[in-house]
Amino acid sequence: MLFLQTLVNGLALGGLYALAAVGFSLVFGVLGIVNLTHGIFLVAGSYGALLLWEHLGIDPILSIPPVAIVLFGVGYVYQRTIIHWAVSRASLVASLVVTFGVAMIIRNLLQLWFGPDIRTITPSYSFSSVTFFDLRIDLVRLIALGMSLVVLLLLTALLRHTHFGRSIRATAQQPLAASLCGLDVERLYAKTFGLGAALAGASGAIIGIVQPFSPATEAGWTLNAFIVVVLGGIGSPAGALLGGVLLGLINTLTAQYIAPSMTNAAMFLVLVAMLLFRPHGLLGNAMGESR
Amino acid sequence: MSDMSNLETDGVYIATDGLSYDYNGVTAVSKVGITVAKGQIVALIGANGAGKSTTVKMIAGALKPRTGRVLFGGRDITGMPAHKVVQQGIALVPESRLVFRHLTVLENLQIAGHLPRSRDRMKDSYDHVFQLFPRLYERRAQHAGSLSGGEQQMLAIARGLMTLPDVLILDEPSLGLSPLFVGEIFKMIRKLNQEGMTILLVEQNVHHTLAIADRAYVLEKGRVVRSDTGRAMLADDAVKKAYLGMD
Repeated sequence: MLFLQTLVNGLALGGLYALAAVGFSLVFGVLGIVNLTHGIFLVAGSYGALLLWEHLGIDPILSIPPVAIVLFGVGYVYQRTIIHWAVSRASLVASLVVTFGVAMIIRNLLQLWFGPDIRTITPSYSFSSVTFFDLRIDLVRLIALGMSLVVLLLLTALLRHTHFGRSIRATAQQPLAASLCGLDVERLYAKTFGLGAALAGASGAIIGIVQPFSPATEAGWTLNAFIVVVLGGIGSPAGALLGGVLLGLINTLTAQYIAPSMTNAAMFLVLVAMLLFRPHGLLGNAMGESR
Repeated sequence: MSDMSNLETDGVYIATDGLSYDYNGVTAVSKVGITVAKGQIVALIGANGAGKSTTVKMIAGALKPRTGRVLFGGRDITGMPAHKVVQQGIALVPESRLVFRHLTVLENLQIAGHLPRSRDRMKDSYDHVFQLFPRLYERRAQHAGSLSGGEQQMLAIARGLMTLPDVLILDEPSLGLSPLFVGEIFKMIRKLNQEGMTILLVEQNVHHTLAIADRAYVLEKGRVVRSDTGRAMLADDAVKKAYLGMD
């Protein structure tokens, strides 16, 4: 029973990890940029949901759309300016340094505005839980898992069945041919980046009701996103889901059966093993052409 | 070698004047002037590295010329980005095809057919390209990456046609294909031309090309060194020696 309970906890956590990583994965797959500001977008989403909750009493789940829209705009402008300048004047690798620097600046600004304290969002249903037979799961975790799956499914449909989604995939594979087909590649890059930031913000709003957060937690979320992509593969919601669930299971199983302090060690062990034996992740690069 | 005198002539689609380009200081194209008239097949021939691809990429907006102008139907389109040039009516089918490998054949076509200029007639465009290339219809649900080289070339051409261009630029369409496919591609080019499509053809397969070209330009080290009708060049001893390996 303990084992089953651990599995259920791991799955719920994995759903969160998947949503937290999918924007990072999309940006990596389409633009080839490892966005080290990703965790900042996520934490900003948590703080956005916190503000809406504290000042206007808006439920964090309902705050997902406004938070996502604002972050889409932020991501769009960020790519068109700072990221574009770095990549066009230097190289893709320069974006690594630039996004790292921006992440440090904004983390410190967040600490100035909100203080370094750990915060939580606690709507009325925070302390309820659901019981199936002997398995117990917190209601917020169940809601978070459900919302993650809904958002991932919506993203899959967007990528697969809309002109915007097809354009993103085409541009990821062949930017030159995409522009010859009439696609404005620069604008698509900015929109994809905005979408990645919006997804991070949405997951941040959801994470706010499940886990405590502070400006300093951003680095951990960026790292998690990186590991999820290495495990599952680049560029697809399915890869993020697989990687997220694996990471969730590794975390809870290690904490339960080895020691809670060993979870990071286990994560890195799996990361190194994956990079050695299957560097493109279990599902490979969904966007195609390896960079 | 200026063709500007022809620019006011009726029926001239594309005219370039003094087009130059260099890659990191190394000259690739120098003062190239060519004209393509409505309804013609115009060929650019020359050895590897003569600047043929660079020239057509500048026309299509994929590269910005260092100097010179590109006129299309009398309008200056120099430096216009590629996604806007194709909306004007020039479609470049790029060298080595560059199909979207992880998209299906249908999705490849859908993307190109979604331009403002072509979107309303998408259904007719499908009918047209599937009638030209029945094989693509059979494989419409397959990923483009799973097609053979010849089929990918067909897809690349079909993708260009989906934008409903006034001028179709084909960059080395026969490269790397089996002799059977090469024959088919040239037959198809001729058929498209007979339907009224204006074609600018970049080729290394000089014999086949000159046989169908109304006009041909020979590029050498980035410059136009000769231009004449295809028929006249095919009869020319110097061209034969240099490009056809005949004595």
